[in-house]
Parts: sequence; structure tokens; C-alpha cells
Amino acid sequence: METATHMLRTGRRGTLFEFHMALRDLRASYDRRGLAWSLAWHDVVSRYRGSILGPFWITLSMGLMVLGIGVLYAKLFSIPVQDFLPFVAIGIVFFGLISGMINEGCETFVNASGMLSQTSLPMFTFVWRTVLRNLINLAHHLVIIVVVLLVYGYWRTANVPLALLGVLFVIVNASWLSMLVGIASARFRDIPQIVVSIMQFAIFMTPVFWKPDRFPDRHAVLDLNPFYHLLQVVRAPLLGEAAGGHSYLILSIMALAGWAVTFTVFALTRRRIVHYL
Amino acid sequence: MKAPPVTISCRDLTLRFPVYGVDAKSLKKHLARVTVGGRLGSSMAGSTEVTALSQVNLELKAGDRLGLIGHNGSGKTTLLRALSGAYEPDEGQIEIQGRIAALLDLSLGIDPSANGYDNIRLRGRIAGLSSREIEERMEEIGEFTGLGPFLAMPVKTYSAGMQARLAFAAATSVEADVLLMDEWIAVGDADFQKLAHKRLLKLVERAGILVLASHDLDLLRLYCNKVVRLEGGVASPVTDIRKLDELLAA
Repeated sequence: METATHMLRTGRRGTLFEFHMALRDLRASYDRRGLAWSLAWHDVVSRYRGSILGPFWITLSMGLMVLGIGVLYAKLFSIPVQDFLPFVAIGIVFFGLISGMINEGCETFVNASGMLSQTSLPMFTFVWRTVLRNLINLAHHLVIIVVVLLVYGYWRTANVPLALLGVLFVIVNASWLSMLVGIASARFRDIPQIVVSIMQFAIFMTPVFWKPDRFPDRHAVLDLNPFYHLLQVVRAPLLGEAAGGHSYLILSIMALAGWAVTFTVFALTRRRIVHYL
Repeated sequence: MKAPPVTISCRDLTLRFPVYGVDAKSLKKHLARVTVGGRLGSSMAGSTEVTALSQVNLELKAGDRLGLIGHNGSGKTTLLRALSGAYEPDEGQIEIQGRIAALLDLSLGIDPSANGYDNIRLRGRIAGLSSREIEERMEEIGEFTGLGPFLAMPVKTYSAGMQARLAFAAATSVEADVLLMDEWIAVGDADFQKLAHKRLLKLVERAGILVLASHDLDLLRLYCNKVVRLEGGVASPVTDIRKLDELLAA
């Protein structure tokens, strides 16, 4: 249903026109940002309806993992716990955000098929719904990071504004990934399985459970791994370290290139997505 | 600011449906097709296209009540979905002045695990109401459902009839200039049907334009003043409802 009082839908008028329409979709989703928020909030509430702790159950299990891995691996790697546990805590929480946005992105359009096939709601609304839902979950998991930073005294050296900038980099990059896999999953039903496998592989290839300084030199596993840079720009400032300028550079390029690709794909497939479902 | 008059205008509206078979949705099949290198060019990425609507022309103005008739698969629902803005034309254009409400699927956005109030809120948000507007109407909607204390219970505990009541009340709480309906909605027990009927009529009266797809000719004679017959995606000219029999005979 359209709240606007004027609707114009036209046949194909060339690629430029498709971009114009895609941009209009984006703008419409901004005008109706309240809806994306309501849907996201409703998702979280309904997923945990009837449970006492709600999303904090995930927080609890994450916290347990942080504690277990933080202590055990610190011993295995012979690193002091106060160095390793905060490192693992931030890594697990933020990798959880990234993989949540991407994995759930696969269902963005598939789950919205009912609404998409009989209303003119902007497609981007559903992308924001996935993004916001994961940010709401993150807000719960932040408890872990706050506790860890307080307990191990990192709050004195943590550069919170810079870390928030890092979070922004994470959101901007994970959103386009989320949207791209969403479009691809609508068209090809194999994509979600592939995405889940890749994300599972990525968590072990990325310094989440191990420290990057195990490599004496910078290694391709780090430099060519976008997830490493995504974690680095949040984790380093919180631990009172510098993230390294090249991480910001790589993420900026990745954000621009990624959104350019995603937006192009969206512009070209927009009128077809509803038929994919 | 005075809003421009409510109108619907379709010019040479053509809508093609790509049919992505179960096969086509698998990436393996898709890749295999590319590597084998035969059929890719046949149509866009190996899907077949069905022309659901072809060259439909419609001009409706405020006060028009259009009935859509036609066999199953003749394109009635597709036309309604195109008018709702969900399907975009491949050729031609649709232009609508006025707020559109599509009552195509009552269960849209109903979450069985949420309670009645939350479902009304959700449905209202989807329909484009603000939180404040919904809270203002909540009492009226709740009263209309006649569900009373059940509104605070999860919808999954409702009987089918109760669910329909809730969905109907929530869906018809919108104000719209253009009302799209796939079959006249009749839900609930006899008492509720009477109430629902009255509410729907009021909604139709308020709306500038009604487009109603139905197989029930008596119903169409009752509510519509114009009629279009669809056959295989081709629309007849807009005809006065009094000439319905001639249209059917043609």
C-alpha cells in the first residue's frame, strides 16, 4: 500500500531510468524508515516471545564462549588472559554482527514475498529491516564488551569514538553484502547454503580466536581478508591500539565498490525480484 | 493544498511473467546451462515468459466502481497487483492519483505468535499509518473485531473465524482513495458478516475508486457501475455494468 498520493509505474525505459527508479526506492525507504524499524523490532520481539531472557540468551551463550575460549586458548597460546580474553570477546561479538547480517540477508526478500507481491513498499525497507534487527541484537551483546573492558581496565585506554567509526565501517560494508546475497538468494536457492559455508570458513580464517601477531610478517590471510579489516577497525581502538591506516583505506574502497556493484545489480533486477520469489 | 482528483490510468499496460521453474532456481542448472552453451540466448537467463496482461487500457475517475471478470488465470489478480504497485509493467504505464489500499490477502503481515493488538499495529504500519494514528484507531478497531479480551492473546489461539475478524478489522482500518479487492470479502459468522459488509460499504463509499475482481455477477451488478472482462490477459473496453450480459455473450 502506498501512502503517497501519486504512483507512476512505467515499462522499461533504459538503464539510466532503472537507476533512477532504484534511487527512488532508496529514498522511499528512508521516508518510511519507521516501518523498517517497526518490522525489525517486531522480528526480535516475536523471535524471543515467551522466553525470559530474550536476546540475552544469545548474549549468555556468547559470553560463555568468550570465557571458555578466552581462558583456554590463552593457556594454549601462552598469552596472558587479560590480553587474550578481551580480544576474543570483541572478535566474537562483532563477527557475530557481520555474519548475522550476511546470513540473514539471504532471507531478506524471500521472507518478504507476501508483502512484496501485493504492496508497493520499497525493497530497501526489507534490507534495513535485516540490518536493524542485527543492530538490535548487537545492542544486547555489547554487555559482554562493556564488562570485559571494565574488568580488564581497558576503559582507560579505549578510544570509543574511533571504535564507533569502525562500527560504522562495519555496518556500511555488511549492509551491501547483506543486500547482494539477498538478491542472489531470491534468484538462486543454493546461495544461502553457500553463504553459510563461507561464513563458517571465514570465522576460522579470520583472527577471531587467534591473534594476528602470530604471523611475524603481514600475511595474505590478514591483508586479503576483508573480515580481518572489519574486525580490526572496531577491535584495535577498543583495545587502545591503532587499527592501521590501510584497513580504513581498504574498507573505504570496499564500501564504495561494493555499494556500486550492489546498487547496479539492484537497479537491473529490481522489477524482477518480486517474480523470483 | 487541494489534492488532485483520484484517477487511475493504464496505457498499453503489458506485463510479462518470467517463470523460473524449480530447475531454473538452482545455481547448478544455471551454471550447467552456461557451460554447455546452448540455450542461454533463448530467453533471459533460461526462463520462459508468460504474457499475463497485454495492452490493457483503463481510464477510471472518482466514483468509478470497476468490476473485473474473467476465467481463472485470465489476469484479474495480476492486474490488481500491478495496480497495487507490486508488479511493474514491462511496457506501457500505470498512473494512479490517490492513496491505494490493496485488500488482496487479508492474512498479510499477520504473525500468529503475536497478540491481537500487536498484529493490528504491525498491519497498520505496513499500510502506512504512523504509530500515533494506529493508537488513535486502536479502540475502534478492537471494538469492531468483537474479540474483547482475546485481543491480548496470541493470534494462534484464535479460531479461524476469529483470525479472519482480526485481519478484516485491521485491513479495513485504512483510509484510501483507491480500493483494490480480489473477491468481495465475507468473513466470520452471520452477525459479523453483516457488520463487515457495512464497514466495507463505508470504505467503498469513502474511496474514490473501487476495483473488484469477482466471479459473482450479482455482486458486481450490486456494487459496480463499470465492468471489464479479461481473457488471456487481453481486456475488453470498459463497459457499463448494464451491458454486462452483452459483454458476456460476446
